[in-house]
Amino acid sequence: MTEFLQQLLNGISLGAIYALIALGYTMVYGVLRFINFAHSDVFMIGSYVGWFALQRFQFQQPSFLGGITVLTLDMAVCALLGVLIEKLAYKPLRNRSTLTVLITAIGVSLLIQNLAQNQKFGFGPNPKAFPPLFPSKQLQFGDLTLSTNQLAVPIVTLGLLAILYWIVHCTRTGTAMRALSFNATAASLVGINNDRIISFTFALGSSLAGAGGVLYAMNYPSIDPLMGTMPGLKAFVAAVLGGIGNLPGAALGGVLIGLVETFVSGTRLSTFRDAIAFAILIAILLFRPAGLLGKLKVEKV
Amino acid sequence: MPDILLDLSSVTIRFGGLTAVSSVSITVREGELVGLIGPNGAGKTTVFNMVTGVYQPTEGSIHLGGRSLAKLKPFQITDLGIARTFQNIRLFPSLTVYDNVRVAFHRHLQNHSLQSLIRSSNFEEEEANLKARTVELLTLFNLQRVQDEPAKSLSYGDQRRLEILRALATKPRLLLLDEPAAGMNSSEKTELLTLIRFIRDTFDLAILLVEHDMKVVMGICERIHVLEYGRKIAEGTPSAIRADPKVIAAYLGDN
Amino acid sequence: MVPPKSQRLLIATLAIAALISAFSGRIDAYLLDVALGAGISIVLASSLNLINGFTGQFSLGHAGFMAVGAYASAMLTTTLAPKLMGQTELLQWVVFPLSLVAGGLLSALVGVAVGAPSLRLKGDYLAIVTLGFGEIIKVILQNLDAVGGARGLTGIHTHTSLFWVFGSAAVTVYVVWSLLNSTFGRGFVAVADDEVAAEAMGLNSTHYKITAFVVGSFFAGVAGGLYAHLKGYLNPSGFSFDKSIEIVVMVILGGMGRHSGVIVAAVLLTALTEVLRSFGNYRMIVYSVLLIILMLTRPQGLFIWPLKKRKST
Ligand SMILES: Nc1ncnc2c1ncn2[C@@H]1O[C@H](COP(=O)(O)OP(=O)(O)OP(=O)(O)O)[C@@H](O)[C@H]1O
Ligand SMILES: [Mg+2]
Repeated sequence: MTEFLQQLLNGISLGAIYALIALGYTMVYGVLRFINFAHSDVFMIGSYVGWFALQRFQFQQPSFLGGITVLTLDMAVCALLGVLIEKLAYKPLRNRSTLTVLITAIGVSLLIQNLAQNQKFGFGPNPKAFPPLFPSKQLQFGDLTLSTNQLAVPIVTLGLLAILYWIVHCTRTGTAMRALSFNATAASLVGINNDRIISFTFALGSSLAGAGGVLYAMNYPSIDPLMGTMPGLKAFVAAVLGGIGNLPGAALGGVLIGLVETFVSGTRLSTFRDAIAFAILIAILLFRPAGLLGKLKVEKV
Repeated sequence: MPDILLDLSSVTIRFGGLTAVSSVSITVREGELVGLIGPNGAGKTTVFNMVTGVYQPTEGSIHLGGRSLAKLKPFQITDLGIARTFQNIRLFPSLTVYDNVRVAFHRHLQNHSLQSLIRSSNFEEEEANLKARTVELLTLFNLQRVQDEPAKSLSYGDQRRLEILRALATKPRLLLLDEPAAGMNSSEKTELLTLIRFIRDTFDLAILLVEHDMKVVMGICERIHVLEYGRKIAEGTPSAIRADPKVIAAYLGDN
Repeated sequence: MVPPKSQRLLIATLAIAALISAFSGRIDAYLLDVALGAGISIVLASSLNLINGFTGQFSLGHAGFMAVGAYASAMLTTTLAPKLMGQTELLQWVVFPLSLVAGGLLSALVGVAVGAPSLRLKGDYLAIVTLGFGEIIKVILQNLDAVGGARGLTGIHTHTSLFWVFGSAAVTVYVVWSLLNSTFGRGFVAVADDEVAAEAMGLNSTHYKITAFVVGSFFAGVAGGLYAHLKGYLNPSGFSFDKSIEIVVMVILGGMGRHSGVIVAAVLLTALTEVLRSFGNYRMIVYSVLLIILMLTRPQGLFIWPLKKRKST
């Protein structure tokens, strides 16, 4: 039972991180209808930015305030990076075929990964140990021992989701974002500046991925330039599982994938862990292509 | 009276909460030229999409020559002898004009994948035969002059005519035309009228025509069905439809 | 009866490949290695061109199919080899080509398994699913002790010669070309252009897509077999997503759905990889920058020779 609860919490933590990344995929897909392959690398850069920030400030003791500061800074840098990628690589490709944009996105992803691996321009290929972000305490609930770090991920994620919900549903920009993903032409007709909203969407999604990167690194706690690929793919699967374009769906999908993966890791099938997400993806596309919370649209002819 | 070819009986389709077509019955007899008219959004294209298997009706049945079309895929329905054009032209843009027509012979093809690898004399014979038929059709519509151009480079009028020709290459018993005159000037429209009559007479088929231009519809159709908001509000000869107060109201109300 | 021109061309190419192969001992070893690599790339790129270029089914799993073929044919030759001790001729000229075909067939079978459920998907969804399949294949291979698991498979006989590589390349190009250049074959392009219209013209789009996947993955499997018997060892990590991307880039560079463009691109990119080696660590950076610039400036492919008006044949 304790074992189960422990695994459950681990699964939720991992899933929360997938959820943070998945939200970025789903938002960008909503407004531009393409998979931003470089998103997983923004996640990786996020963890490095966190690492540098923690090195630079050299906190004697990790503190909650310090942790939150690093997280905020990190999200801001990643937001900028996301906008930069969008402006340089994707904006010139508006209205080009999906394929062209997809390949460009893969190119951007390869570039970021290889720059990061480079000793001179980047971080070098070797993994780095990630210092503690928050002060850690052991909590005892009967048989169950928990560290505050394990709770930090779901708590921070919930906080970010609340902010995201507020932005999307209670601000003008959020409303414009929803309008844009509903119908781009109509949105521009009613005076929405599509380019601005697209940039904003990239900023928002990338900042969440950045937060995900720091939280992932904090739990893992080691970072390297290729660390983004697998979590990125799984988060994408999460977005599809929840129904692409659907924000609560992405969050739900993330948590589900995290749980499944954690519980599979505890069994004999653990070496197949990385294949599980794809098996889920294929199953969902076969049986419920619109995803758990998505609605299937009939193509107009 | 000729036999009934197409029979839609009490067909309904819903998209989520929207009932696009509601309990509509339409018949087309062998060799008949029937019009389907109605204001924008009345459900005309949706009827075409149900007949050709693009959408499945929520209720009701569709029969072609007594055979139910329920659950058939679009290509199977084409095999049974229904061909169509699209309201917003859908050619194969990167194929040449010639290839656009040629692929539509698919339904009558004997030799498929394996034979195209072996290239037996039988295969070469059929290909030569198809080539002759394709060129013959193209010449009929005076499109042979552009046969090696990619379809996307054609003028709008030629694209419309090519789309009709491509549909004819499948040798249909029933041809569905969705607003073939849209975007044409009046001399082009007159030409189109002649063309449609010519098609019906030479190819021995029935035509169901969706068209906004009343001159075109009234000029060639023997019978007309009128839709409004997904319901059928009238059916009859052109003169009867022209005088029908419900139809007049529908069109006046629309403007 | 005189065979059609395309078949005569195929036979001529096979003869030339055999001739050059006979003198391959005199060719510089490094050059030979690059040439063999380029030939295998032609098989991979031409077969993917059928799926991605002509049929418009964006697949990112070609390396996965290649892996299936590589492992299957390598397992066949390595288990049969000890039983045929001393009979090198038999191994080289009968068992090896049969193992290539067997690898191709298994790969084609996997192709159906991937293609059938993915057909409903379009564009980037299909890309992700095929990518996922590729990864699943990799993970399964890593976990299969019978084929060496994550350590890889070693001790594979090196049967791959110029003849087999360029013979396979010629057959691949011939098959894709002939398939496309027929009334049936134009249907692949029609399905890619507009699936709804294609169905309305009586084309069974599912049938076309599956055919493309089967033929494409068959030749990817053959390429895998050639690769296995060229290198002499296999490792699942060699068939990752990056490898699939490499093949996709060849198809795009060659101009999606152009036979000769894709062949030239396959050779060029193989050569480029060699050139980039001198950049050391910067190789992949240069590669990805080139890729991005290319997509921004020439998404239709590298080659700008004017499209000859196709004769109606
Ligand atoms: N796939 C679909 N999903 C949702 N609604 C649809 C779909 N297809 C059609 N509709 C709706 O059904 C109604 C009828 O559309 P339809 O295109 O059949 O009209 P129409 O009579 O052809 O009009 P027009 O003259 O403008 O072509 C419209 O309200 C349309 O929005
Ligand atoms: Mg319409």
